[in-house]
Amino acid sequence: MLLRELVEKKLTCYEESFADWKEAIRANGNPLKREGYIEDAYLDAVIACVEKYGPYIVIIPNVAMPHSTEGAPGVLKTGIGFMKVEEAVHFDPNDPEKDARLFFMLASNDSEAHLNNIMQLSELLSNDDLVNDLLTVKNDEELLAVADKYGGE
Amino acid sequence: MLKVIAACGNGMGSSQMIKMKITKVFKKLNVDVTVDHNSVGAASSMAVNYDAVFVSQNFVDNFKTAASKGVKIIGLKNLLSEQEIEEKIKEAGLDK
Repeated sequence: MLLRELVEKKLTCYEESFADWKEAIRANGNPLKREGYIEDAYLDAVIACVEKYGPYIVIIPNVAMPHSTEGAPGVLKTGIGFMKVEEAVHFDPNDPEKDARLFFMLASNDSEAHLNNIMQLSELLSNDDLVNDLLTVKNDEELLAVADKYGGE
Repeated sequence: MLKVIAACGNGMGSSQMIKMKITKVFKKLNVDVTVDHNSVGAASSMAVNYDAVFVSQNFVDNFKTAASKGVKIIGLKNLLSEQEIEEKIKEAGLDK
C-alpha cells in the first residue's frame, strides 16, 4: 500500500493553510528535501512548470500532483511526497475546481520505479471513497488507518 | 488500429495516468488501440500522426493545428474518471 510506504519513508506532512500555491508546493517538497529525494532546484522547476502550463497539476477535484520532468535538476531519488492541507489551496482564482487539499509531489530519475509509483497513485486516486477519507486525515496515524481500511497493494 | 496519444505538461505525470486510464477504457469498449504519451510540446508536433489526442482540458488549445486537420482533441476535466473518458470516446465516435 502506497500510503503506508509514504509514512514509513517519512514523506508526509500536514498543514493548516498557505498564502499561495507556491508556498504550498514548497511545503509539499519539504519532506522529500529532508529525506534526500530532491533539492531546492527541483521545487523551482515545479513552480516554473505550473507558471508555464497553468493549474493542470490539479488532476482531479481536491488533488494536486506537482511535478516537473524526469531527471530534472535537483532530483536525487524517485519518490512521492504527500501533504494534506486543511484550507484549500487555490491554483486558479476563477476556477474552484482547481482547488487542492491533497498534494502528491512526484520526483523521478528512474522511469521504471516512477511508473510503478504512478500506477499505484492512479489506482489510489481512482477510488472516490478513499480520496474522501484522505481529505479528513490530520496525521500519520489517521493516514495509516486509511491505508488499513483500503488495504491491497 | 486506432492510434492515440496522451499528453501533459512534461510527459511524466498526468500523461502516464491518462494513458493507463484510456487503455483500460478502450479495452472495455473492445477497441483495438495503441496509446503513446508525451509532453504537450512534443505531442503537438506529432499529433497529426494520430487519430486522437487526450489531454487535460487546459491544453486543448495547444492542438488547434492538429484539430484543423481532423485529429480528435479530447480535453479531460477529471483525468482519472473512466466514466468521463468513456463518454468522450463515444462522443468522438472513437468506439466505432
